[in-house]
Amino acid sequence: MVWQTIWGQIVDLSLVAVLLRLMTPILLASLGGLISDIGGVINIGLEGLMLMSAFTSIAVGSSTGNWAVGVLAGVATSVLISYGMGFFSLKMKVDIIITGFAVNIFGSGFTIFLMSKLYGMTGNYSPTGAPRIPVVNIPFIEDVPVLGKLLSGHSLMVWIALLSVAFCMFLIYRTPYGVHLRSVGEAPYAAQSLGIPAKRIQYSALAWSGAFAGLAGAFMSNGLTNMFVKDMTAGTGFLALAVVLLGNRNPIGILLGSLIFGLASALATIVQTVPNSPIPSQFIQMIPYVVTIAALVFFALRNKRRLATMP
Amino acid sequence: MPILLEMKNIHKVYPNGTAANRGVDLTVHEGEIHALVGENGAGKSTLMKILFGLEAPTDGTIEYKGQTVTFDGPRDAIKQGMGMVHQHFMLAPSLTVSENIVLGDEPKKGVFSLFRDRAKEFQEVEHLISTYGLKVNMQAKVESIPVGQKQRVEILKVLYRGAKLIILDEPTAVLTPQETDELFDSIKALVSQGHTIIFITHKLREVMQISNRITVLRAGKSIATLLTQETNQEEISRLMVGRDVLFRVDKIPAEPKDVVLSVRDLGALDDKGALALKGVSFSIRGGEVLGIAGVEGNGQTELVEVITGLRKATSGEVRYQNKDLLAASVAEIRRMKVGHVPEDRQTAGASLTSSIAENLILDHYRNPDFKWGPFINKKKVKQFAKIMMETFDVRAQNEETMAGALSGGNLQKVVVARELSKNPLLLIASQPTRGVDIGAIEFIHREIIKRRDGGAAVMVVSAELSEVMALSDRIIVLYDGEIVALLDNTPDLTEQEIGYYMLGIKKQEQEATR
Amino acid sequence: MKSSKALFLEVGGILAAVVTALICGFVVILLTSSEPFTAISALLLDPLSSTFNIGTILNKAVPLILTGLALSVVFQSGVFSMGAEGQLYIGAFVGALAAIYLPAMSPWIHFPLVIVCALLGGALFGMIPGVLKAYLNANEIVTTLMLNFVAILTTSYFVNNQLKAASGGGYAKMENISKDLLLPKIFPGMAAHAGIIIAVVAVIVVYLLMYKTSIGYELRLVGKNGHFARYGGIATRKVIVVSVMISGALAGLAGIVEVLGIHGTFKENFSASLGFDGIIIALLARNHPVGVLIAALFYAYIQVGAQTMQFGSDMPREVAVIIQVMLVLLVSAQAIFTYIKQRYARSGQKAVK
Repeated sequence: MVWQTIWGQIVDLSLVAVLLRLMTPILLASLGGLISDIGGVINIGLEGLMLMSAFTSIAVGSSTGNWAVGVLAGVATSVLISYGMGFFSLKMKVDIIITGFAVNIFGSGFTIFLMSKLYGMTGNYSPTGAPRIPVVNIPFIEDVPVLGKLLSGHSLMVWIALLSVAFCMFLIYRTPYGVHLRSVGEAPYAAQSLGIPAKRIQYSALAWSGAFAGLAGAFMSNGLTNMFVKDMTAGTGFLALAVVLLGNRNPIGILLGSLIFGLASALATIVQTVPNSPIPSQFIQMIPYVVTIAALVFFALRNKRRLATMP
Repeated sequence: MPILLEMKNIHKVYPNGTAANRGVDLTVHEGEIHALVGENGAGKSTLMKILFGLEAPTDGTIEYKGQTVTFDGPRDAIKQGMGMVHQHFMLAPSLTVSENIVLGDEPKKGVFSLFRDRAKEFQEVEHLISTYGLKVNMQAKVESIPVGQKQRVEILKVLYRGAKLIILDEPTAVLTPQETDELFDSIKALVSQGHTIIFITHKLREVMQISNRITVLRAGKSIATLLTQETNQEEISRLMVGRDVLFRVDKIPAEPKDVVLSVRDLGALDDKGALALKGVSFSIRGGEVLGIAGVEGNGQTELVEVITGLRKATSGEVRYQNKDLLAASVAEIRRMKVGHVPEDRQTAGASLTSSIAENLILDHYRNPDFKWGPFINKKKVKQFAKIMMETFDVRAQNEETMAGALSGGNLQKVVVARELSKNPLLLIASQPTRGVDIGAIEFIHREIIKRRDGGAAVMVVSAELSEVMALSDRIIVLYDGEIVALLDNTPDLTEQEIGYYMLGIKKQEQEATR
Repeated sequence: MKSSKALFLEVGGILAAVVTALICGFVVILLTSSEPFTAISALLLDPLSSTFNIGTILNKAVPLILTGLALSVVFQSGVFSMGAEGQLYIGAFVGALAAIYLPAMSPWIHFPLVIVCALLGGALFGMIPGVLKAYLNANEIVTTLMLNFVAILTTSYFVNNQLKAASGGGYAKMENISKDLLLPKIFPGMAAHAGIIIAVVAVIVVYLLMYKTSIGYELRLVGKNGHFARYGGIATRKVIVVSVMISGALAGLAGIVEVLGIHGTFKENFSASLGFDGIIIALLARNHPVGVLIAALFYAYIQVGAQTMQFGSDMPREVAVIIQVMLVLLVSAQAIFTYIKQRYARSGQKAVK
C-alpha cells in the first residue's frame, strides 16, 4: 500500500512539491548554521531562533495583514536574539554551545508564554485570515505537463531558500567578508594579526545564522502551515545541525544534505498517513540521525587512517 | 651602506620579574643580512617582539630610518615597513595561497567594494612571485603544500604589505636541507630587490653561509657585533656560550654501579613525522648523573618521551633492569620506579586546577596503603602531602591549595616531590629548573645529587649548559637527533668545548660515543 | 576540594547569578502582568503553602537530581555529552521491560533487578558515544544529540506496536507495571514518592565515587588535564568511556524512577526534556553532586512556583523560562568567574611564597 502511494506521488510529481516544502526550513536553517560554523561560533540554538521567528512572524503578520512585514519581524527577532548570543558568548565568555542551548530553551518557553499572554491560547495559535507567504505560479509554465508541476506552484520561500544557496556560495567565496569569515573560524590569531576584527566578524556570523533561521521559522508558521503550534519546529533545528556536519562546510553540500533529510521527512509523512505500512514511520524519521552518526564515524575513521600513514 | 635600524639600550622586564633584555644594542644597515644569534633564553625573541610591536620596551629607544619610533602594535609596525615571518606559521589551512597572502587587504571591486577582485589578486601575487622568485602555486590550499612553500607564503605575505625590513625567526628550524638552500636563494633575491633581513638563529653554519653581520646575545645582553667575514664559528660559539650564571653544587665523586638503563640505536619521529632520533645509543649506571646537553629541538624531547612511554619508537631497544621498556605502558614504567620530571610542568607535569595533594598522589591513589576499603583514605593523603611539602620546602597555605596558584619554583618542587617520593631507581629530569627561582634551583639540584648518591641512575636533560655541567658526571651532546659527543665531566672540560658540539661545529667519532 | 576562600567566592558568584536571574524574571512579570505582586508572591511562596506542593517539588526534583548527577559526572571528565535524554528513555524502556515481562518473582528481587536493568540499559547506550569519542575522536555533542532521537524514535516504535498495551485506551504505552514494583509514597497521603530517597542515595554514591575513589580521581583528572593524566599513566580513553557509561546509567535510573514513581509504566514521550534540564542543573551546580541536589530542588521549586503562579494569577508558567535561561547564561559566564578568580589570586598571593 505504502509503496504504491509513494510511487503514485512520484509519478504525479506531488512528492516533489512536498519534498521542496519540507526541505525549505531545513535548508534555510542549515545555511545559517553553516555560516556560524565557518566563523567558529557554531549556533546550536537554531530551534529556539526558529520558534521565536515563527511566532513573531505570524503574530505581526496577522495583526498587520501583511505577510512581508510579518516575515521581516520574524527575521528581525531572530537576528536580535543572535546578537544577544554574541554578547553572552563573545563578551561574557559563555561557551557557544551553552548559549545555543539556552536559546533553545528560551525559544520554546517564551513563545508559549507570549502565545498565552497575548492571545490566551495554550496549544496553538491559528488566527483566521492570517496572510500566507504567497505561492509562485509562473504564468505559462504552470500549464506545461511535467515542468509545470516541477517549477510552478511553490511557495516564494522555497525559491528564496534555493536562491540562498547561491547567495551563500557567493558570500563565502566571492567576497572579502567571506574570506575573513573563513580565516577567523580557522586561524583566529592569523586573522587578528592581519588586522581582521575577529569579534565583529563573529557577531555578524551569528547575525547571519539568525537571519536564515528567522526565514526558516517564518516559513513554518506562514507557509508550511498557517499557525503557530508550541514547539512546532520538532527537531528541525537539530536536523539542520546534522546537515551542517554532513555538508562538508559548503553550501552545495548543505543543499544535498537538506534534500536527503527533506526526503526522509516527506517519506515519513506519507508512511504515517497510510495504514499498515511495512516500514514504520519512526525508522524513516530516524534515517537522518543514523546517517549523520554513520558519516561522522566514516570521517573519523578516514582521518585516523590518514594520520597513521603519514611519514 | 646607511644605517636602517638602531635599537639602543633596550631593556624589557616582564611583570613577573623576568628580565628578558638587559641592555641590548642592535644596529642594522640597509640591504644587509644581519644574523641575531644566542642560546635559548638569550633574549632574541623578546627583542624581535619589541621590534615588531608585540611588546613595548621598559627602556631604550628604537630609531628607524633616522627617526625615533614607537610601535603601537604589529599593525603599526607593518605600516612602517616591518615584516615578520614567525617560527610558527600563521596561515589559514583551507584558504588558498593567494587568499592567505592578501588576507585582510584583499583587492576589491564593484558596488560598495563588496566583491573580491580575484583577477587583481592573482595579478599582484603573480607579480610578487616572479619578482622574488618565490615559487608557489597560488591556487593551492595551504594545508596541502609542504613546509618550505608555507614559509614562502609567509614571506610573500610580508612583501605584499610592503615590508622593507624583514625579520625571519628561526626560519630553518622546520626545513629540509634542500628547502634551506632554496630559502637562502630567496633571501639573496630579497636583498637584491632592496630589502634588509634580520635572521634569528642558533645554527652557526648558516650564519657563516648567508649573513653579512652578526650580533650575539647572551643572557639578555648584546655581547658583540661582528662582521661575518672577519670571524668564524668557534669565536661566535665562545661568545654565545659564556659562563655567566654559576651553578655550583658540592658533590662527592660518583661511584657508579651496575647499568640501570641501556639504550641501543633508538629511533623516533617527532610530531610532524620527521625523524627526530637517528639511532641513539648510551647507558646510565646507578649512582651517576648523565647530562644530555643540546639546543632544544635536537631530539631531547622525543628521547625522554620514548623512554617514559609517551612516544612510540621506530627502531632500537631500551632496556631497564633487564626489561624491555619499549613494550611497557606508561603506567607500568612508572610502577617500575622510573621518575619523570617533565619539561613542561604546566601541561604534563601537574594539574593546575587540582590541589597540591591531588597532584602528589598520582602514583599512590591505587596503593592499598592509601585506601580505606574501596575509598581513598583522605587522612593518609593529607599526612603524606604534608610530609612531602615539608621535606621539599613547598611554600603554600596548605595541601589543599590549587597547584595553579603556586609560583613556578614551588610548583616544580611539587613535581619533584612527587617523582622522588617513589624512590626511583631511574630519574629523568627534563629542564628541571626552567622558570624557577634561585632558591628552588639550589634545592632541586641538591635533591638530584642526593638521589644519585643513594644509587639511582639520573638523566638530566637541560638546555641550560651550566646546569648540565654542575650536575653531570658524564655528558652526552645531542645534535640533530644524534649523539655527537660523550664526555666525562672533568674539571678541565669547558663550556666552550661543549658549545662546539651543541652547535654542530664538532663531532666525535662514532666509537667514542658508545 | 578547593580552599574555603575560593569556594566561598564561587558560591557567592552563583548566588549573585541566582538573584540576578530572579530579578530578570520579576521584571518581565512586572511588565506583563496586571497583578504582578500576586504573581511574584505566588511564584515564591505558594510552593510551600501545602504539603501537596512540597510533595510535588520533591517529585519534580527527583529526575532533575538524577539527570543532573549524570551530566555532572560526564562534564567533570571533560566530555560534553548531551545524551541524557536518550539514555533516560532507554533505561526506562529496558527497566519497564524487566518489570513487565520477567517471570513472576518476589518484589525484593524483582525491584532491584528492574533498577539494574535500567542502569545497564542507560550505561550500554551511553557506551556508544563514549567509544566513538575515545577511540575515533567523534564529536560527542553531535553523536549524543543524534542518538537521543534514535532512542526516542526506537522506543516510540515499540511502544506503538509490539509492546502497546491492549488495555491502554489507545495511548502509546506499555502494560501497567504491577503495583508491588511501583515506588510507594514515602508518607501515606503525601504526593512525594520514594524516588526522592533513591535520588538522595544517588547523590551520596556519586559524591563518594567522584571524590573518594580511584575511578573518581582518574575521571576528574582526565577532565582537568588530559596531558597530565596521560603522563601519569592513566588510560584516558577507558576513563572517558567509563564516565559516559556512568552518566548513562544515572540517566537510565532517572528514567525508570519516573516510570515507577509517576507514570506506572513506560509511556511515549513521558519526558518533557528532563535530560536537557539535567544539563542546566549540572551547569548551575558547577558539576558538584551536592550542588546538584541543591540546584535541582531550587529548580523544581521554581517549576512548581510557576505552576502555582499560573493558577493564582494571569501569568503563564512559561515565564519561568526567563529565570532558567538567565541562570544558565550567568552561571556559565566565564568572564565573571575569571574576574572573581583574579581578585582571589591577588589577595591569596600574599600568604604564599
